[in-house]
Amino acid sequence: MSTGTSSATAGTDSAPALDIVGLTKTFVGGHALRDVDLRIGAGEVHALLGENGSGKSTLIKTLSGFHRPDPGASIRIGGEELVTGSAASSYALGARFVHQDLGLVEDCSVSDNLAFGPGFPTRFGTIRGRAARARAARALESVGVEVDPDRHVGRLSPAQKTGVAVARALLDDESSPVHLLVLDEPTARLPEHEVEALLEIVGRVSARGIGVLYVTHRLDEVFAVATAATVLRDGVRMTTQPVAGLTRDSLLHHLLGAALEAQERPPLRSDPASEPALSVTGLGSESLHGIDLEVRPGEVVGVAGITGSGRDSLLGTVFGARHRDHGEVRVAGRRVGADRPDRAMAAGVAYVPAERKLEGCFVDLPARENIGFGSLRSLWRGAGLSRRREHDLATGWFERLDVRPRSGTERAMSTFSGGNQQKIVYGKWFERQPVLFLLDEPTQGVDVGAKAELHRALFEAAERGAAVLVSSSDTEELIAVCDRVLVLRVGELVEELVGDEISAHALTRACLGIEPDQASDLMEVMESEGDPADLRHPHLTTDPPDHPVDHRSDRAAVGSLEGDLR
Amino acid sequence: MTRLPRGLGLERFSGLYLWAVLIVVFSVWQPLYFPTMATVHSIAADRSIAAMLALAILVPLACGAFDLSVGATANISTISAVMLVNDDWAWPTVVVVCTLLGTLIGAVNGFIVVKLKVSSFITTLGTSSMIAAFQIIITDNAQPLPPINASWAAFTQSTILGFQVVVVYMLILAVLLWWVLQHTPVGRYLFAIGSSPEAARLSGARVDLYTWLALIASGTIAGLTGAIYASLAGPSLTYGASLLLPAFAAVFLGSTQVIPGRFNVWGTVLAIFVLATGVKGLQLATNAQWLDPMFSGGALVAAVAVALGRQRAAEEKARRKLVRGEAPSDARVAAAP
Repeated sequence: MSTGTSSATAGTDSAPALDIVGLTKTFVGGHALRDVDLRIGAGEVHALLGENGSGKSTLIKTLSGFHRPDPGASIRIGGEELVTGSAASSYALGARFVHQDLGLVEDCSVSDNLAFGPGFPTRFGTIRGRAARARAARALESVGVEVDPDRHVGRLSPAQKTGVAVARALLDDESSPVHLLVLDEPTARLPEHEVEALLEIVGRVSARGIGVLYVTHRLDEVFAVATAATVLRDGVRMTTQPVAGLTRDSLLHHLLGAALEAQERPPLRSDPASEPALSVTGLGSESLHGIDLEVRPGEVVGVAGITGSGRDSLLGTVFGARHRDHGEVRVAGRRVGADRPDRAMAAGVAYVPAERKLEGCFVDLPARENIGFGSLRSLWRGAGLSRRREHDLATGWFERLDVRPRSGTERAMSTFSGGNQQKIVYGKWFERQPVLFLLDEPTQGVDVGAKAELHRALFEAAERGAAVLVSSSDTEELIAVCDRVLVLRVGELVEELVGDEISAHALTRACLGIEPDQASDLMEVMESEGDPADLRHPHLTTDPPDHPVDHRSDRAAVGSLEGDLR
Repeated sequence: MTRLPRGLGLERFSGLYLWAVLIVVFSVWQPLYFPTMATVHSIAADRSIAAMLALAILVPLACGAFDLSVGATANISTISAVMLVNDDWAWPTVVVVCTLLGTLIGAVNGFIVVKLKVSSFITTLGTSSMIAAFQIIITDNAQPLPPINASWAAFTQSTILGFQVVVVYMLILAVLLWWVLQHTPVGRYLFAIGSSPEAARLSGARVDLYTWLALIASGTIAGLTGAIYASLAGPSLTYGASLLLPAFAAVFLGSTQVIPGRFNVWGTVLAIFVLATGVKGLQLATNAQWLDPMFSGGALVAAVAVALGRQRAAEEKARRKLVRGEAPSDARVAAAP
């Protein structure tokens, strides 16, 4: 039995929504979960945190009946023992799941989506539209989602869609009342200003006495919505604590362990007098307005900014992946035309897009061809491409970047894990020996170990004289790798942080456009060793109390920058 | 969809084994008629046209584009060839003109797909109907007279080692396409575009250009095939449409062979002749007329079902491997501190 998991929420006399004791799941070759205990009271919101690969998904899939745990575990939902490995049992005991991919049919109306599962109310086989709408309206109201049941799901905001998915999960079923709602990273795809709406829905659900297991990467949400938090690392439960006794630092420490301290910023490597590897003047597009910037050989320059600042489109626009309306891009002095990735590549640019699976690689082609694709000219031998040379090239990069499995060069890209896929993508570009790297979210979806290796490879490239421009929503990453960070706000480059000026606080302040004196109170709270949950209380910030909405959106933005631990 | 070299694996070359079984079965069943050189030559010559059309389709399919107009293109090329020969044009000129006619049709298809952004499926479905309409316009829907011209006939009706020369033409085309698709950057670009057009563009492939070129290639090959058919069999107003489905069946069936999970030249050629052998054997045994369309249609559906099933199996396997592969690395990380 775990200690300190019980919380002071309602329904202490009723059975806990979830009670896991001694859950171990072994896959061939290792533990995914080791002796995990987890208890969620009725009406409690329990946050579950952990890096990629920490065992969160395995835990959820065990609850949903997809995985069968090792013998000896006890899982009780609403007081009843779960028949492990049975999705039907999981449902019958009242466990409901809302996955990251909500599984809504975008082309259909809200009320249709709510009727696909339980069936439409019919008379003589004809759908009773009014009854279906009324039922949908009741279901939506019960979770506090205000949408017209006749609207098409595709037209809803992301938070509203999540709300519809929650309403669908919680639809009344008399044979199995809901005890537990599992939300798997519900805010991962939500813009900041929508997070608040979702958190309200979560509050509504827990007020109905339903236990909520809230899986997230964002620390601020833990303090905003949860009553207790559990941190998993490498399949082991590191801690379970009431949120009231937690601080950001202690959570981070539990999450990352030694990895947190290992980060070290490299010294400035570039020669300020050298000719810039990249110079951009007056770059303009739909989301960018007159950007000027220069990156010199050997420099690692970061790009920071909140969603909507243009940060996520800057590198793609420089490379030609996204449309450029005006402005000039020069690589090592050579002009590069708009919207022509092939020309940019010829000038010596490498671009790693954020959407790896869609844009960064060919998932159904072998790793060898993915790596060789960037260097076909050098593989040409008289009468055709040399497969042997391509094989050697791929094997070389597998070794240098430690891609696992080592012998997998002929395997399709889709068979590798995220971190290894990203290494293969890097291998393709490194082989071309670019003078400029443009990296969008370079370590997104990559585990901590692979992340460090990718950073090391970048430093090596910079030492050999390549210029690197990194756009990342991961503040820690920017601090760890950059010599300078350029900060974007609403499509304009507003600030530049150099060397020691780069810190999480400075980045947050610059991204949000808070003047240093105005920000001091907010920063004080964040720097203090005290309980960051106090951030919820408006009186600790400079926001006028009569404008709580502004305050909330700021806080959400802070969270996305600092709390996002992809 | 993995491509692991597995030697003479049952999977990669299951078509070859099936072929051998068919040959043995029919040789035993029809010992007088089936195991003869006449059968071999007739299958080879009959199916070379279908094989060439299948190879034409293969090129755009590699980059994810359908060309449903190859049948109509070949057909109008055949009709044009017959009419030009009847007008006393020299046969090399006729072949070149008819091939260029195919090139033109491919270029128009490419323009619609690349510039007007219409899906290749819709585009070529529409243009094939329009080509058929043009054919009615130029022929008045009356089949032109078969040409009486010795040099024109000699273009295809000679033999090499007993095989009709069309078989050699088809093999030359196959070797050429095999080289382009498997051993040149152009092939890599095409398959990369077929895998993910946006990823290909961001890796420096000129997606629009290569899609256009692929459709031009399929039109050109179809035009040439039509000219060869005209010399081999004379005028026909309808054969093109009837060859379209067998050609698609062969390409999809071929993608389960030799290089499983990828449209490829030798898999396609193999599929054509395995199917042809089965049909021929059954025809000799039963004299039924419905065998060919039944076999082609069934093979198309079965091939796609097999390919999808294999893809699912590979994904499932990959998923399981991932779970297994990650676990030790977790253990390693856990053991480090």
